[in-house]
Amino acid sequence: MSITGANWIRFLRQHGPRPRNDTMYDEQIHRVARRLGVQPLNFDHPLEARLLSTFSPDVPTPISVVLTGTAGDGKTHLCGKVWQYLDGDRAAWDSDETYFTKPILVAGRPVTLHLIRDLTALPQSDEQGRYTSKESLLQRLSKSITAPDSSDVFLIAANDGFLLEAWNRAGEDPNAAFVRNLFEQLLVEDRAEEPGRPLLFLNLSRQPCAILFDLATNALINHPGWSACYQSVVTDGFFSEHCPIRRNLELLRDPVVLSRLRNLFELCDQSDLHIPIRRILLLLANAILGHPEVSDRLMQPGDIARLIASRTTSKASLYNNFFGGNLSETKRESLEIFEYLNRFRIGHETSNRIDNILIFGAADDALRPFFDRLVASDPYYGANDEFRAAQSAYVETSGEDDASPGAFLSTLVSQRRRLYFTIPEDMADQVRLWDLTIFQYAGEYLERVLGPLRQRRQVERAILSRLVKGLNRVFTGLLTTTDRDLLLATSLSYSGARVSQILDDRVPVSPRLHERIELTLQHDRPGLAVCLAQGVGRTLRLNLTRYEFLSRVAEGALPGSFSRECYEDILAFKSQVLAALAERRRSEPEPGPQALYLRLLDLDPVGNAVDQPVEVLNG
Amino acid sequence: MADATVHIPPPRPADHQQNEMWVDEQIWGHRLWDSQSPWLLFLEFLSVAEAKHREGSLLDERGQLYPLQFWPNKRMSLRNLLFNNECMPRIAARVSDNAAAWTAWLKEIHETAQAVPSPDFSYLQKHFRDFHQLELVISLLRAAAIESDSNRRWTSRFAFPFGPAGIYEDLSVKGSGHPSREYINFTRSGELLYLMLCRAKTAAELRAPLARFLCSDHPWNKLLNILQPGEDMDRSRRDGSFLPWRTHDTFDKLGEDWLAVCNLRLPGFDAYPFLVTLSALHLSLYHLAVAADQCRCERPRFLCEIVAPRKTLVRELSTANFLENTQLPRRAIESLVADIEQSPEWVQSLSEPGAFSLCKAILLDRVRWPRDPEDYDGPEVPETLISALRTAALRRHRQHNANVHRSFGGGAGLVSRRGTNRLRYAPNDSLLKALVLANVRQRMEFGEFLKRLYDRYGFVFGEREAELVLGREDLDKRAFQANAERLERRLATLGMLRRLSDACGYVINPLWSVGTP
Repeated sequence: MSITGANWIRFLRQHGPRPRNDTMYDEQIHRVARRLGVQPLNFDHPLEARLLSTFSPDVPTPISVVLTGTAGDGKTHLCGKVWQYLDGDRAAWDSDETYFTKPILVAGRPVTLHLIRDLTALPQSDEQGRYTSKESLLQRLSKSITAPDSSDVFLIAANDGFLLEAWNRAGEDPNAAFVRNLFEQLLVEDRAEEPGRPLLFLNLSRQPCAILFDLATNALINHPGWSACYQSVVTDGFFSEHCPIRRNLELLRDPVVLSRLRNLFELCDQSDLHIPIRRILLLLANAILGHPEVSDRLMQPGDIARLIASRTTSKASLYNNFFGGNLSETKRESLEIFEYLNRFRIGHETSNRIDNILIFGAADDALRPFFDRLVASDPYYGANDEFRAAQSAYVETSGEDDASPGAFLSTLVSQRRRLYFTIPEDMADQVRLWDLTIFQYAGEYLERVLGPLRQRRQVERAILSRLVKGLNRVFTGLLTTTDRDLLLATSLSYSGARVSQILDDRVPVSPRLHERIELTLQHDRPGLAVCLAQGVGRTLRLNLTRYEFLSRVAEGALPGSFSRECYEDILAFKSQVLAALAERRRSEPEPGPQALYLRLLDLDPVGNAVDQPVEVLNG
Repeated sequence: MADATVHIPPPRPADHQQNEMWVDEQIWGHRLWDSQSPWLLFLEFLSVAEAKHREGSLLDERGQLYPLQFWPNKRMSLRNLLFNNECMPRIAARVSDNAAAWTAWLKEIHETAQAVPSPDFSYLQKHFRDFHQLELVISLLRAAAIESDSNRRWTSRFAFPFGPAGIYEDLSVKGSGHPSREYINFTRSGELLYLMLCRAKTAAELRAPLARFLCSDHPWNKLLNILQPGEDMDRSRRDGSFLPWRTHDTFDKLGEDWLAVCNLRLPGFDAYPFLVTLSALHLSLYHLAVAADQCRCERPRFLCEIVAPRKTLVRELSTANFLENTQLPRRAIESLVADIEQSPEWVQSLSEPGAFSLCKAILLDRVRWPRDPEDYDGPEVPETLISALRTAALRRHRQHNANVHRSFGGGAGLVSRRGTNRLRYAPNDSLLKALVLANVRQRMEFGEFLKRLYDRYGFVFGEREAELVLGREDLDKRAFQANAERLERRLATLGMLRRLSDACGYVINPLWSVGTP
């Protein structure tokens, strides 16, 4: 049966933030999809090809696979793909069964595949008698990894914490203990294989969520369900010209909106915040269907006529929904994807320029062109009636009335969020787009640091100098402007003291002999590398927070203000660089015992660090 | 009762004539007092260690458990230069000509220096041509002094111990100009610390790292050397400290923690703050552990709160827990007296003629009291006598020893009033850092870390350990779970925790590197 628009929306609602039990999620979604006659959202997980190839008949040896990650990463889904690939019984997969066995042909010989699609749900004993206890099953798997030529191959899906915990309880088996340590090592060191062991350890939490975002969004906005919606328009109702669901879908297809959203995901990756696929789909479903005044806070086809009539469609603003603005505060705080995205503080951060455009732009001649292009161009979520009314009330009120400022200021939050997603690329620098977030240097980070590094080009010198200046201010505790050298300063007693006035050494930014400072890219993460000698150096990983911290300190912020954690990190880095310096000195010839030589740091009137030598003669 | 092979018999009474009685001392040693900051404790330790290292017997008692005799440095020339030298900055500011400044200063220091046999500092001119540079260096060294903001007399100020040239004992200089030793800043706890480390299982392995700290190669040590006129030969013998245990598990734990920190090979003197914190902690734990053993009850546990914005159940339990623990030493005193009262010989003496004299003799033998007529002038009845002993012992105990738990516990960062007005256990950041460095090698799973802290120190943070201590019925698991989560977040802020997913966190030691043993 062909899908109807209403059924598609009903199916999409299943992905949204509704109260539900999260176990067996994948199975539930498939059941609902079948019931509604809708094709589920499907895309190829980036690791799918590698996973399936491990079970192909022409692989050299049989390899067991562990799929780990957090809830919602797609582990069960991928297990299903493998089962399908190996022609497993479809009906069995659709049941509640957790443990499956099947004889398969791998590397030219027959082995038994044991598939556990969720280790948490594995019952202690098996009704079908295939294993005596959970521990014995785990011991059997351990043996298949430690002993060669085993006739068992396993595919297990488990959350990372639970995986290690389960192996801890697998009894006194030496194989189990060995395998547990192996898992821990692979997990913490972020590796997929150990040479010589028939094991593939895939941690789905390590997938960059920007790529998953691309795949999920593509699958969603191109789903045939939308064409069904276009064909089931209800006048002044569902999918009509003023329908917020349709409006949100069309805005989501806008490349600028998509790229700004993708930037946020990219920045989450760079901050080591992982977002599982399930949550990405939740975000998208909530974005399209969210409205604060409908049941479950997600719109249904039947709600639309009422919303249009009561003129409250502007509350379904896509831009506000991205941050869970339609949800209750407790619900929003309980879902980590909204918590991560809200960390950017979009809607709450602003600059005078942007707020002036929003508040006074309609009336002010100088700001009018900006206002027209950025706000008035969107009569639905931009300068709509509600906004104009609240704005004039705010501007013209004498200040005695308490109610109106609150109402306008909350619409301002929504407007600022909208601006973040809609300011055109050519105006982004002029209006300073990233002032709308708490990471003012995020745009620069993405475009002028990460971008060039990924293309193996050099980063601009000005940025490197700024980072070095920031480091110098933290290292010395003085408000120095030196940015051509890295000042390695200590205090007399500790390397980690707040103010360090003894200069140990200067490392030039421009290469000199073996010394240099440069920005590098490792595992897709930028880093600042300080090289002291051939093979002697240390690298500081530059995640978004550290980049922001150093840039702000370079521009005048006090090191203790933005992030204490960053401050401690940078001091620890100084300690490491000083240790590297000591390492280099050990290989250098000893200076003669003639004199003791100190260099005291001080600042000249401009802020350059000058060192004052103090010489002590060893009479 | 103390194990005879482990408990050492007391020294002869003549060595400690000034002690009113020998009660605190038999339990904890001579002596463990409060009111010594952790850094002073460490500096006292260093003064002993340096002296012993000079003799060639660092951390090695060579079978002689008593007395601890050593000849620490005095270094009065250096101390005058650093801390009794107000004329120097004055002259440096006023006089710009180099030669004139030297003359003026040498003249003035000759008159104001104290406790130096011949105050001639002209040797400095050989090493420092420029007087103003000398002044700069001395003010730098003074700024690096330990606890420079405290208001102590100048003879009790300590330069940073860059090496043997900067290590000396606490002294006081009276009008006569001769330095004498008082035990108010260096109260002997540092000497006990030294003895504990000698008797720890890891003593042999600690010698090498300590010797490195005490070697004279460090440039700042050479600088301190240059400031002094040759080898300091003026030394006096110090002795009298007594530690009544041949071995003890608290000594072993102290030694293990020290060794773990030393093995990290931290640059320069970065290890010192951690050693200071751990020493104060272990002394406090020793104090309570010995008291608990004397009372024949379980070793104390510590319900630790990670400070929350609001008052929590954990805080209340922790406050009660602290009060309970502080009673332990007092109960130990009472138990000691009760042991005497219930001992066979006492009971026997009660029924014999001349009971009072016999009982008095027993007391003199066991606790060296009452010796003077003022000690006891009540009726000649044994019951009253022993009751008087109890009162006197508790009074004496309350003056100093009773406060050790609060004093060293507070110094270590374990006991605090932060955020409230009552004392309880709330580990601060420097204690948490020290615990991670001492216990975690490369990484350790968070649950395992909590368990280790419980097993080694008795610290309770999370619900599993709380259950062991409080039992299942009374327990509000959520409160302790939230407490453990706050600890995780705190460690993450300090850069010592890495989360893998919701259920999985690893405590990491950021200063551990692959070559660490």
